[in-house]
Amino acid sequence: MATTAAINITSDIMPGFGGYYKTMTLTQAGTITDIEETTGFSRRKLAATTAVDLITMADASLLLETDDNTAAKVYIKNIGNGRNAADKTTYVTVSIGDTGGTTQEVGRLYGNDWLLMPVSGVDDMDVVVAPSTNDAVVLEYVMFFEV
Amino acid sequence: MATTTATVTLSSDLLSDAMSVTSSTTCMKAETTSDGLDQCKMGYKEIPTGTNFDLLGADNAAAGNLNKANKVYICNNSTDETYYIVITIDAIVIGRLYAGDWMFIPWGAEDATADIEIQAYTGTNKITYMWFHEGEVLNTTL
Repeated sequence: MATTAAINITSDIMPGFGGYYKTMTLTQAGTITDIEETTGFSRRKLAATTAVDLITMADASLLLETDDNTAAKVYIKNIGNGRNAADKTTYVTVSIGDTGGTTQEVGRLYGNDWLLMPVSGVDDMDVVVAPSTNDAVVLEYVMFFEV
Repeated sequence: MATTTATVTLSSDLLSDAMSVTSSTTCMKAETTSDGLDQCKMGYKEIPTGTNFDLLGADNAAAGNLNKANKVYICNNSTDETYYIVITIDAIVIGRLYAGDWMFIPWGAEDATADIEIQAYTGTNKITYMWFHEGEVLNTTL
């Protein structure tokens, strides 16, 4: 069973840049064995600037405890208000940490922006999100991980 | 307007029904719908094991990219599956990129210490990176 992710980047910023394409197969840490666990594809609607844990790494939320410091990957997309209106002037800040403790900002997902990044899976190193406004915004997300 | 697009196709057969997601975004400057990111930096590095260094520095406030819509792509081009790099921002671990893995993130660069740092393990890792951004002003040579 395989999970793959491919990226295609095009840009006319730099003359002569012919684009970039790369695909990867999500494997377990240090091996060529495919990753076997996932949260499934999920959706969460937010309507306040309060920071929330989108993905909590502790056992209670995932049912399966994430193996720490392995090859977990998270995909998140800001799809806007969920009614085909994505606003490029507002954003959701994505951070790593815990809403009850400290967080480290990764960056801002504006409307229609997406990210795919590795995460450590360590408890309290959750994926934390905080909208920039109180307007409704919907995030689609999935995590692939090891146990 | 400069136009940069990033498209991802994510496919998985882990679930009983196969999942396939395709998403594309046009990389715009912060909080605008009319102006695309218009600056970029790309590179290829070899990082000896144990070495930790700033891949992208956020320490130049005059650069104009703090709290903006930066987009960063990093790929570990190593071929030995036991090789990996640890990605940190401001010394907080984000995660590991093993051989063949890539990542694409927005980078807030929210303050002068929010550098993107990488450290290599097991062997010399080979890294491709791209940074799409806005507002960098070159400093005059002192």
